[in-house]
Amino acid sequence: MLYKLTACLLITIFAATAAFAQTISVEGEVTHPLKLGAADISKMQRTEVTAADRDGKPHRYSGVPVTTILQQAGVTLGAQLKGENMSKYLLVKSGDGYEVLFSLAELDSAFTDRVIILADQVDGQPLPDGKGPFRIVVPGEKKPARWIWEVTTMTVRFAKD
Amino acid sequence: MILFGMMALTFVNGRIPFTGEPYPLEYPASFGNRTNIPADNPLTKEGVYLGRRLFYEKMLSAGNKISCGACHMQQLAFTDGKAFSTGIDGVPTDRNAMSLANLLWVKNFFWDGRASSLEQQALTPLAAPHEMGQLPEISAEKLQRSKVYPGLFHAAFGTQIISGEAIVKALAQFERTLISANSPYDRYLNGQYQPGSAALRGMQLFMTAPAPERQVRGANCGHCHGGPKLYLEVFHNNGLDSIPRDAGREKQTGVAADKGRFRVPTLRNIALTAPYMHDGRFRTLEEVLDHYSDHIRNSASLSPVLRNTSNEAGGASLRLSKQEKKDIIAFLQLLTDSSFITNPAFSNPFN
Repeated sequence: MLYKLTACLLITIFAATAAFAQTISVEGEVTHPLKLGAADISKMQRTEVTAADRDGKPHRYSGVPVTTILQQAGVTLGAQLKGENMSKYLLVKSGDGYEVLFSLAELDSAFTDRVIILADQVDGQPLPDGKGPFRIVVPGEKKPARWIWEVTTMTVRFAKD
Repeated sequence: MILFGMMALTFVNGRIPFTGEPYPLEYPASFGNRTNIPADNPLTKEGVYLGRRLFYEKMLSAGNKISCGACHMQQLAFTDGKAFSTGIDGVPTDRNAMSLANLLWVKNFFWDGRASSLEQQALTPLAAPHEMGQLPEISAEKLQRSKVYPGLFHAAFGTQIISGEAIVKALAQFERTLISANSPYDRYLNGQYQPGSAALRGMQLFMTAPAPERQVRGANCGHCHGGPKLYLEVFHNNGLDSIPRDAGREKQTGVAADKGRFRVPTLRNIALTAPYMHDGRFRTLEEVLDHYSDHIRNSASLSPVLRNTSNEAGGASLRLSKQEKKDIIAFLQLLTDSSFITNPAFSNPFN
């Protein structure tokens, strides 16, 4: 009976999670944890980058700079990105379980001119099945292994060791 | 008295104090140290030994009919050679019994990843009516009445009082020791084995993404089954069906993108673990290669890795030649770890 109750409870939790399936959670070392849906992201300041995917051809990707999202969550960027905060990283997770990592300094405009974006469009169209609704695009990176698709979670952490 | 009170409190919190000698885990540095061991269940020699006995203990099933080892047989890399297993009542399970190799690193258990630890995973086959059909609490009562088990639990967990929680903890400890790292492929990676020419060609295809525009042929298996452990901790829809009978991970998450998605399992000992896929639909590795080569079914949740991945420009499947399939299978044979399936430390102690 206990197991049945537990199973019911778990199913309820999963169902509740499913309702937020197409959102991105921003969590960890943040002052304001976020759950962003497509509507939230469309309200943010947009940008466009041109970058080559695995096919080697340049495409126009549009979306939101990752730093814009992190700033909204209160991550230590800009003037605060120094001292111990230099050992923080951003872990991005896909709905398929894949994970990739960026150091905060790699993302911050005080450190680099390269703008890494969370894209929701390519060449003016929504991202194709399997790669959307949100995908990280890293302009200039030779290998697109960090262009993680189906982004569901962005977690900021301290490197512990 | 205070000590007793503290211990009682510990039990109330549901934690079991551990005792015993730490169990040294040995594995190649290339496997990495991102292991999955809960803080409240460190491996001890006593715990692992108890777990091994419990793994093969029929008292954990209703009517003392079967043990975990019935569907996870060592000689088959801890599978049972069946598409669907049958438990105490002869009714087939919903999915194919998974191999138990290198679970130490796995973070999501079952074909749909619904359990985050081996402790949590073990609860299902123990209690499921078509598997072992007995709640761990009932098993604990049965073991409590035996002559040997109270002493073994005391050695492992510091108490003779047997609980369902302690049973799954011991099982999980044993399963974490099931490390396979001595196949010919491992020895090749260490520079101690020279594969034959077919296997070498197969390995090249396995690790290479096809690019017909550059005349590069490949099977791209390594994209998901690469690295020394031969799997990635991801869930993909590998194009078995356009409309899957078993929705896989979607049943857990409710997310449409998860339809037909299942865990990418390790390919270690793959020649021993037929039949293949979550439903055991393929009896041979030839059938598996035929699937990826010629029969990928399109759907909205088909893995992007399998879309437009072909050795023919515009092809919907890999389009491998007969010889290429044979070569890849020759490579897959190198993943069989004979010392893993004969290791006495993993064998049935009741034999």
